[in-house]
Order: sequence, then C-alpha cells, then structure tokens
Amino acid sequence: MNENKVIVKTAENREKLFIALYKSVFPAVAKYLSKMGGTFDEAKDIFQDALVAWYEKAASDGFVLRSDEKAYLFGISKNLWLKKHRHNTQYVPLDGFDAESEDHGQVSDSKILNFLKTAGKKCMDLLRSFYYDELPLNDIAETYGFSGVRSATVQKYKCLEKVRETVKQKALTYEDFLA
Amino acid sequence: MRTSLLETEQIEAHLMQSAEPGDALVFEARLLLDPDLKDKMFWQQKTYSIIRQYSREQLRGEIEAAHQKLFNDRQHIGFRQKIARLFSKK
Repeated sequence: MNENKVIVKTAENREKLFIALYKSVFPAVAKYLSKMGGTFDEAKDIFQDALVAWYEKAASDGFVLRSDEKAYLFGISKNLWLKKHRHNTQYVPLDGFDAESEDHGQVSDSKILNFLKTAGKKCMDLLRSFYYDELPLNDIAETYGFSGVRSATVQKYKCLEKVRETVKQKALTYEDFLA
Repeated sequence: MRTSLLETEQIEAHLMQSAEPGDALVFEARLLLDPDLKDKMFWQQKTYSIIRQYSREQLRGEIEAAHQKLFNDRQHIGFRQKIARLFSKK
C-alpha cells in the first residue's frame, strides 16, 4: 500500500491539509448525508467532528497516511451520522453537552482554559505540539526556534511545570468560589 | 535540567508508564513517603487533560477557518456550488 507523510508543523500546513481533505472527501459525505435527509449544517458538523477524530488517530500514527485514508474519513463521518441518529431517538443532547459534563469540574476546566488561552498561549501551543500533534522533537525544535532537541525538551518540562502550577492555583480558586 | 524539571519528567514517565522498571519502583516508594510529590502528580495528570482540551479547541478553530475559506473565498466557488447543489433539491 502506498504511504506518504503529511506535514502538520504549522497552522498554515494544517490549513492546507484540511482544505485538501474537504475538497476530496466532503462532497461524498455531503452527498451521502443529503440522501439520508441531513442538512448542510448537519453535514458540516459531522464532517468537522470526523476530521478531529481522523486527526487524533493520524497524530498517534505519526501522520503516515495510507492510500485508503479518504475511505477511512468517509467511514468515520458515516458512523458519526448513524450514532447521532440512534441517539436522537432516545434523547437530544443539549449543544453536545450531556448531564455528566456539566458538573463543577467542567465549569472550572473551561475557566482555566480561558485563562490559559490568553495568559499561557505560548506554552500551551508548545505543549500541544508535543502531546496532541505528537510532532517529532527535531520538528518542534525547528518550528519554535530552539537550538536543538535537548533545549526543546527542557522547555517542554518548564512549560508543563508552569501550566501545572496555574491549573492547581486556578482550580483551587474556582472551587472556593463555587463552595 | 534543574531538579524540579527532572521530577516533572519522572512524574510524566510514571503517568505514561514509560519508566524503566527500577526507576518505577523507586518512584513508587517516593510517592508513599512524599505527599507533595503525590499532589504534583495529581495536578500534572489534570494538566494533560487540560492540554488535550485546549489542543482540540484550537484544532476545531483551524478546521472552521478552513471551512470559512472554502465557503467564502472567490477561488473556491466551483466547490461551493457543487456542495450547494446537493442540498438544493429538498
């Protein structure tokens, strides 16, 4: 099977990738969902969720893509649609949140996230590259301008430690507030 | 690396189960004796979950930006019309 590696180092790389995937797979997904009675907005939501699921899987595989990748992405979209409709017959989740996710833990998580999005963006982006995008160390060093792999690793732990302290401090503050 | 960073690295190895068997035993013994270390481990685990949530949100934003480009930029008009036709028959 043919294999190739996609480049996802920067936001520009990823935009190109998503536009390419939209162009090659979304028409088939939209056609299928339209036939199943779905609307454009539903097709958009389903496809975007499928892209997230696909990306997370691809990241854990080192972004080495196989030639049946498009069929795989189409399959995820189809499954998400079927799952959604099975659920709709039982209950309609409110804006994608179920009862469990509305507990206090989630409330403080979203407050912490909002804080980190502004106050800790630099570190959060670096940590994303390590843990979510799972980029190779030398790519991270190059993208963020570190002198090498070792310096990138040290910076990762510095950021992790800094964010850990912020998470602790903020979580405890919000708990006090809710108590 | 300074001592606290080495400790952060060891906590990570423990949580991700990537430590060498010998190091893992030493770390587990330290966990029993050092409540501060246990506390740091708790918050570090929470931090990984926050990083995941943050990253997913960022990724969703990037996907939405690509969508907006495709459905608003003049250069993609052919694609847009192709999709619109699929939903216009209802």
